[in-house]
Amino acid sequence: MRNPWAQTGNYRTSYEQDTTIFANYREIVSVGLLLVALCILPMFLERSQVLVLNFILIYAIAVLGLNITTGYAGLISVGQAAFMGVGAYTVALSAPHLPFWLTIPLGGLTAAILGFIVGIPSLRVKHLYLALATLAFQEIFVWVVGRSPALAQGAAIPVEMRNFLGLEIGFRNHNYFWYYIILFVLVLMVIAWRNLLRGKYGRALIAVRDNDRAADAMGMDPGRTKLFAFALGALYGGVAGGLLAYMQRAVVVEEFTLGRSVALLAMAIVGGLGTVVGSLLGPAFIEFLRLYMERLSEWMKSNAFIQSITPAGVDVASALLPLSFGLVIVLFLIFEPRGLYNWWRLLRSYFRTWPFRY
Amino acid sequence: MKRVIVLAMVAALGMVMAQGRTVNLLWSGAVTGPTSDVGGPYGAGIEDYCKYANEQKLIPNVTLNCTVRDDQYQNPNTQRIFEEALDRAKPAMYLGYSTGAMLQLKPLINEVKMPTLPASAHIGLIDPPNNQYMFLPVSSYSEQVVALMEYINRTEKNAKIALVVNPSPFGRAVVDHARRAAQRLGQTIVDVREVGGGNLDNTALLRALDAAGATYIIHQNVAGPVANILKDAKRLGLDRKIKQMGAVYTGGSDLIRLAGDAAEGYLWASSYYTLDENTPGIALQKQLAARYNRSADILNSTNYTAGMLAAAIAVEAMKRAAQRFNGRIDNETVYQALIGMNGPNAFKPGFAVSTKAGIEIDFTRTEQTGAEGLRVLEARGGKFVPVTDPFTSALFRQVRNP
Repeated sequence: MRNPWAQTGNYRTSYEQDTTIFANYREIVSVGLLLVALCILPMFLERSQVLVLNFILIYAIAVLGLNITTGYAGLISVGQAAFMGVGAYTVALSAPHLPFWLTIPLGGLTAAILGFIVGIPSLRVKHLYLALATLAFQEIFVWVVGRSPALAQGAAIPVEMRNFLGLEIGFRNHNYFWYYIILFVLVLMVIAWRNLLRGKYGRALIAVRDNDRAADAMGMDPGRTKLFAFALGALYGGVAGGLLAYMQRAVVVEEFTLGRSVALLAMAIVGGLGTVVGSLLGPAFIEFLRLYMERLSEWMKSNAFIQSITPAGVDVASALLPLSFGLVIVLFLIFEPRGLYNWWRLLRSYFRTWPFRY
Repeated sequence: MKRVIVLAMVAALGMVMAQGRTVNLLWSGAVTGPTSDVGGPYGAGIEDYCKYANEQKLIPNVTLNCTVRDDQYQNPNTQRIFEEALDRAKPAMYLGYSTGAMLQLKPLINEVKMPTLPASAHIGLIDPPNNQYMFLPVSSYSEQVVALMEYINRTEKNAKIALVVNPSPFGRAVVDHARRAAQRLGQTIVDVREVGGGNLDNTALLRALDAAGATYIIHQNVAGPVANILKDAKRLGLDRKIKQMGAVYTGGSDLIRLAGDAAEGYLWASSYYTLDENTPGIALQKQLAARYNRSADILNSTNYTAGMLAAAIAVEAMKRAAQRFNGRIDNETVYQALIGMNGPNAFKPGFAVSTKAGIEIDFTRTEQTGAEGLRVLEARGGKFVPVTDPFTSALFRQVRNP
């Protein structure tokens, strides 16, 4: 037997090996180290920096869900933010009566039920037509919330949790507390994701994505598989929304609009569709891009020279963020359609064989 | 040698003492992105007033460090900027901006006891829960709309009114209050429509409101969508049939610029003085715009006045906090100074109109609205001129908490 620590590639010689969560020991160790690093990271960060991490991790959960629906099952969804919203509002309404470890799964479950319903058009329509169906759901969600007095017509519903098992949660530790909760949930969701996709359900998703007629001929049920993909993707969105509600202390409909859905899709594309690593790298990349663009546009707005050469009525600083988002997506689609995941893969391959080259 | 070192240290300490302390003031708002036509001038007003306050040493022995941050109208950005400020240089006061972000931040603001003056005048900000530290610089959107309904009632009883509001909590804030006010005034709200940006053709909307018998449209929106509706009303000849009016962010120089002559006759509820009026605040606005090379668009903007008023209230509260609490300026003392800003201690910077009692800006622990007086202004000959004296809506107090 080869030394498992000196493996330079994946040697899978049986079906059992092919369905393992980790390809080799090195992967287990590196994931363990990553988790340790993530656990100690907040100790070196300010509270507001931890807030940024929290946003990234929450979006990562939502993007994982999107990667089931769009990345794996190939069903384009531009309604992921609405599913997040369903989770968030479920949490907002149930939080006064239930503990958070029940409200968050409840939010996910409610979103999953709605995801199942929204997925019904996928039985008859595909591609852009399906995208339009999900777009309709996104718009209907915002419309319904805006007209529901029970949901404060989209204005804020406070979601506060001041105590957990005797631990006082206040401004000082709020972000840190939720960081560990979100990280824990993310790890659970990633394990569930990997576990699901390495089995027959995961292969059914890929088969239906690649050719649903062929999948049907091979005994899979494309309709049920698509509905399953929608429900599961929505469940991830709902859980992410529930966490966001607690983290932001209030739910406001502006967080769950079409713009957010498009941003989540952009995160999935930039990260690399259908990959766990991409689901983490995409949100991180987009959020850091947002931060740097914010700084740049602030600088442009305050720079007298830039203002003097800009034609009157043209707000370049305002255009910077959407322009950079659009540009990044287009550039990735043209030059690196496999997203940041592929860079990660190349980097990992390089170090695996270092100091030798293939 | 030791003596020299001690002397040098004493001298350095003396210089630091002479320079005074630094107190932080934070504003975050949409300098870029959606609603930056409001946020840009608003932020400029705050920036300029802060520079002026430092130059004039309005707060003795204190250097004001005004941080103006661009949240790009994104709630997560607002939250991050606010928490970043709490981490790094805790402000003594926070000047906020958008309705959504401020509503979302209410629990945190209450927890950290940060006196906050948002640009948004959504009544929900000063309604419970978590409302203790929120203060509106001017009367709420709801009060402005109810005041317009009272104004209509002066000339026409049983009027039929349509509400056209922004499709957001900012727009919807006024609907319930308007309905209750209409009931008391004997008016009818014939329709409530939600219209956002990008409303390039409003023919169907206007025809429907006309068919419903509306003779008045009250807008709660920003200037862009209102300007498009005014232009379409003129094109359809409905400008003579339906009178249009709106709350503070619908009007001003932005509306005149965007709607042109279609804005003629538009009625606007505002607490702010206009640039044509000779008040200390407006004179200062002109002076500072010239001193800091602001463009004509910024100078003419009511939002520039609004930003200055917010900053002026903050600076005055800090100054009073220093006087009352032996130079201690922090969130707690500033809060005390703010709620003590009433009666003979009311603040009169000259940016907003005064009530009949002659009070421009006042706050108490329970009355969290600064300028309670407002006027109705009409667009005439390319500018807004007041058509009423300053008044306070009596009816609003009845419909706010029925």
